[in-house]
Amino acid sequence: MLLSDTISAAMEGLKRSRMRSLLTTLGIVIGVGSVVLMVSIGASFERYILSQVESFSGDTFEIHAKGIQDVGKDVLSITFGDLEAISNLTTVKNIAPAIFLTDRVKYGREEIAPFVFGTTKEIFINWSMKPEYGRLLNDEDDRGAKAVVVLGSQAAEDLFTNTNPIGKRLTIGSRKFTVVGVMEAMGSPLAAQMDSMVYVPFSVAKAIQGRTTYIDYIALQSMGGDNELTRRDIVSLLRQRHNIDNPEDDQDKDDFYARSFEQAMDIIGTVTMSITLFLGLIAGISLLVGGVGIMNIMLVSVTERTKEIGLRKAVGARRQDILLQFLLEAIVLTLIGGVVGVIGALGLGYLLTMIANKLLGGITYAISLQAILLPLATAIIVGLVFGIYPARKAAGLRPIEAMGYE
Amino acid sequence: MSSQNNPTNGFNGEDSPLIQTKNLYKSYFNEGLETKVLFDINLTINKGEFVAIMGPSGSGKSTLMHILGFLDNHTEGEYEFHGKAARTMDEDMLAKVRATRVSFVFQAFNLLPRASIYQNVMLPLIYHPIIPAEERDSRVNKAIESVDLTDRTNFLSNQLSGGQKQRVAIARALVTEPELIFADEPTGNLDSASGIQVMKVLQDLHDSGHTIILVTHEQSTAEHADRIIELFDGRITRDTEEFKTRWAVDEDKLMK
Ligand SMILES: Nc1ncnc2c1ncn2[C@@H]1O[C@H](COP(=O)(O)OP(=O)(O)OP(=O)(O)O)[C@@H](O)[C@H]1O
Ligand SMILES: [Mg+2]
Repeated sequence: MLLSDTISAAMEGLKRSRMRSLLTTLGIVIGVGSVVLMVSIGASFERYILSQVESFSGDTFEIHAKGIQDVGKDVLSITFGDLEAISNLTTVKNIAPAIFLTDRVKYGREEIAPFVFGTTKEIFINWSMKPEYGRLLNDEDDRGAKAVVVLGSQAAEDLFTNTNPIGKRLTIGSRKFTVVGVMEAMGSPLAAQMDSMVYVPFSVAKAIQGRTTYIDYIALQSMGGDNELTRRDIVSLLRQRHNIDNPEDDQDKDDFYARSFEQAMDIIGTVTMSITLFLGLIAGISLLVGGVGIMNIMLVSVTERTKEIGLRKAVGARRQDILLQFLLEAIVLTLIGGVVGVIGALGLGYLLTMIANKLLGGITYAISLQAILLPLATAIIVGLVFGIYPARKAAGLRPIEAMGYE
Repeated sequence: MSSQNNPTNGFNGEDSPLIQTKNLYKSYFNEGLETKVLFDINLTINKGEFVAIMGPSGSGKSTLMHILGFLDNHTEGEYEFHGKAARTMDEDMLAKVRATRVSFVFQAFNLLPRASIYQNVMLPLIYHPIIPAEERDSRVNKAIESVDLTDRTNFLSNQLSGGQKQRVAIARALVTEPELIFADEPTGNLDSASGIQVMKVLQDLHDSGHTIILVTHEQSTAEHADRIIELFDGRITRDTEEFKTRWAVDEDKLMK
């Protein structure tokens, strides 16, 4: 038997049982397609999240008391003394202390309740922020306790709509401040909160709050790039100063947080990765279901195929002729199904990310090669195994047995 | 007919009888249950014979044909084909014998479903190790013509009447022109005109040297044969030419 004969026998076989071929292919399309789609959505999402945080410098540390999340409830533990001591560490730079104000901000009839940061110019370096209009806070503002304010882009828009805020005077609590700058938008929903913030000089906030002991927050960067070394320096210094005996480095025992963005990003990375894994799991289940479908269709058609195999053997087909024909049939089905599934899923995934990009911005399509090859290989293996298994069994029968008794 | 279809390799030689069974028994086993179907079959059929097997329904005619045509195995005794014992043939050898030396017209036709007449008749040729691919088309057309179905060549098998299916099955059996053709009630579904036509095809094959073994219930069909074997309850109860057959072997030997 020529190879071309086997190929055409396989093609004719597929054509003769169009419905079965179609259903098998569909099972593979769905199985492979859903995995590729889910994993690509997961990967795109992961990449999106990471791109949101990657503008932040991983070397930046944030230090604050535990309980800072409940703004306004004075949960305080970091002192001016701590600030002083931290400044003296050799592994830190760009120290930016902050005291928060909870006063409302008013301009004309507009009023917002933003997060008001009383801080120094270093905060902008640590947070990689740039001015869109005007300028940032500077040392003179702090030294002179000037009533100036820098607005996050969203805060500026909320208060001033389309007018230029630079030089305008607004009210924070009962005090008047002059707007000297507007920040560039962070451009990501994840950092949207930062766009609504308002920045005033540290000395001003300190005076308004009447603080002499505690500060709310410190941002700084590690010097020399060894984040872990910096973290250990800060943590042991603060534990010593706060009389916390914590040799086992159990963060639950501390009354403060000291965390680098790098750690935060790792956490985000872990979360998004588990989302991807979860989606992959769901996809894996659908691949399994698809596989069972393929299996089912292949097995259901055994009766007819067995008769066909018996007939082919009766007219002289060898075992290997039969096996090769069924192998080819299964390969063609699974390949077509797999390729259509992959292309369909890539197309659909791309479309979905485009739509999401329109809505959220900053989303690009991502897919890994493994996410394509793995489901493809699985489908092909399932297709081959269950395409060939019945054929193998039938090919071992005597022709009359396979044809069924007449 | 061309000798290329009758390769002798693997067989002891052409002077042995084409078919010889010695004390052949056949039982079917279904879930441990034994159904004895054939008993002590001793049969010699020589090249060029035209044998009709007759007997009541269930007497084992089809079973015997399937064994002789290498579609099934027997349970006990010997079956020798050209002097070579069937039970010594391996899978590939059996496939080759089925492809080149014997063909079968099944009682239930066994056509490929949803395949055209052309594809059905082509089927044995794609497994034939000798007939060149270029010859296939003309052979298929010739075989289809011989059963008078040329105008239906591209009809699908499920678009055919019972008689037409039977004729396709016959065309498929003769397309490789094997030395031995089995036909299990080849005229069973045909009107007398088509039946006569089919018998003429088989008669022509016989006249050109092919050995034909057929099962029939009809006396008129059996009359084409020069030997009638009757089965009853799995045993041979009559063989019209038992003596002649022996004599023919001797004559064959004398000719050498
Ligand atoms: N696969 C099988 N399992 C069990 N018994 C079988 C099997 N095939 C055939 N038989 C039995 O063998 C006997 C002979 O069957 P066979 O088909 O050879 O008869 P037949 O002479 O061809 O009959 P008919 O003229 O009706 O075609 C029957 O009794 C049948 O029941
Ligand atoms: Mg029968």
